[in-house]
Amino acid sequence: MTGREYPWKRRPGWWLRNRRYLGFQLREAGGVVCALYGLVLLNMLIQLREGESAYTAFLDLLRTPPVLYLNLVLFALVVWHALTWFMLIGKAQPIQFTRQPLPWKVVFGVNVLLWLGVSGAVVYLIFGGI
Amino acid sequence: MVESEVVFRVKRYRPESGGRPTFQEYTIPYRSDMVVLDGLNYIKDHVDPTLTFRWSCRMGICGSCGADVNGQPRLTCGTYIRDVHKGAVTVEPLSNFPILKDLVVDFDDFLNKLASVTPYIVRKDWGDLTKEYVQYPEDVEAYRQQSLCINCMLCYAACPVFGSSPEFVGPAASALALRYNRDTRDQGADARLARLNTKTGIWECTFVGECSVVCPKDVDPAAAIQTLKFLATMRHMRRLLMPGASSR
Amino acid sequence: MLLEPVFWSLFSLGGFITAFLFPVTLFVLFFAAPLHLWPTDPAAYTTFLGHWKGPLVRLFFFVLIGGSLFHGTHRLKFMLVDAGFKGPAAEAFLDLILNGVAIFGSLGALFYAVRGWLF
Repeated sequence: MTGREYPWKRRPGWWLRNRRYLGFQLREAGGVVCALYGLVLLNMLIQLREGESAYTAFLDLLRTPPVLYLNLVLFALVVWHALTWFMLIGKAQPIQFTRQPLPWKVVFGVNVLLWLGVSGAVVYLIFGGI
Repeated sequence: MVESEVVFRVKRYRPESGGRPTFQEYTIPYRSDMVVLDGLNYIKDHVDPTLTFRWSCRMGICGSCGADVNGQPRLTCGTYIRDVHKGAVTVEPLSNFPILKDLVVDFDDFLNKLASVTPYIVRKDWGDLTKEYVQYPEDVEAYRQQSLCINCMLCYAACPVFGSSPEFVGPAASALALRYNRDTRDQGADARLARLNTKTGIWECTFVGECSVVCPKDVDPAAAIQTLKFLATMRHMRRLLMPGASSR
Repeated sequence: MLLEPVFWSLFSLGGFITAFLFPVTLFVLFFAAPLHLWPTDPAAYTTFLGHWKGPLVRLFFFVLIGGSLFHGTHRLKFMLVDAGFKGPAAEAFLDLILNGVAIFGSLGALFYAVRGWLF
């Protein structure tokens, strides 16, 4: 063959091409936000040790607008991350309990129910109930 | 039979002249039972014989006719024009591959990756080759899904990781590695896992999942790769913690 | 020696932990009271300090912090590599820094979890 090949280069906006790519990027962002909140929780524990004024000041910083609105956006990403995780468990199924893999939507539904149960348990066991 | 027309916007590229690929528009007669490949063949036969594209079986089994149709990796023989007819039908070569000419892409790299996972039965001893290897229906079922792969590379065109990291072994090669690992006649699972348990192997995958969405044969390479991550991790831990033990 | 399987395992574990436990925890701590969706404020200093006495609560937060850090830093690494931080040197650097953050963060969480309880 004479002449040259035209090389491939991925475009920067590739993830805007379809909604699954966009969902993927938001899911990844949600994962990173989880690490961010991990550091926030760690700082909460540090401030708890420092005393009431330090702790309350940090908590108030997170819970007053506009930081509260930012938190809401980040929280939405965390929830999206959780939902997509439940979907992925269904789509991966490296350990199969049944002969044929279960349809992913079934696994998703079961996980959502489990999630509700676990959330309830957390409210009562960790935060002392409503 | 409805007499009407459809516009095809096809990406052209001449290796002799170089430059950048450009779009060329063709208006061709349209019948509701046409697939995209029929349109391309009409163009080549009646309008522009210089248009170059791959095709063969016309029935979704040879894996030759992959292209980006309206931005989605599809088999042109399996895509009805009526399903993608949004004013014009845009046909481009498969994403993530270098272009040789028009809609023809260079997939030597894919063939090398496929070869690297030894996609055939590997055995330490072959025994009596005049007798068949007995395999029960449930044994076949274990690898049947991955065995359906027709090497059409739509999954590579869909994978954004492959699009920016061309060294990634990729979905189809991984799915085929799993197909042979799960075959009860095969004894080469350990070597394949060793090949995949590398930075250019399955660990590049971030489970975008688009490969399984575009696969025309429902091979589900995304699930295969996650299974391989699990298997490779088990093997890795076994080798780390019990270095003397023999592996399957 | 390839460490990726180890980090992936921690990432997966962290994924389960964050998916199941984060939404409710973050909601209760940061949104329940400010949005008037809860009768009391479970995160208020004295209330939280009361809960903090229990070893289960301490373990819970340690697991949550460790899991989310290993999960999120792994995802961040892949996002950065995808965005262009390619090559063995760049990836080794990212591995070091990001896993370092996860390890130190987890150790920090462990320290604060047992402090006041075991010592």
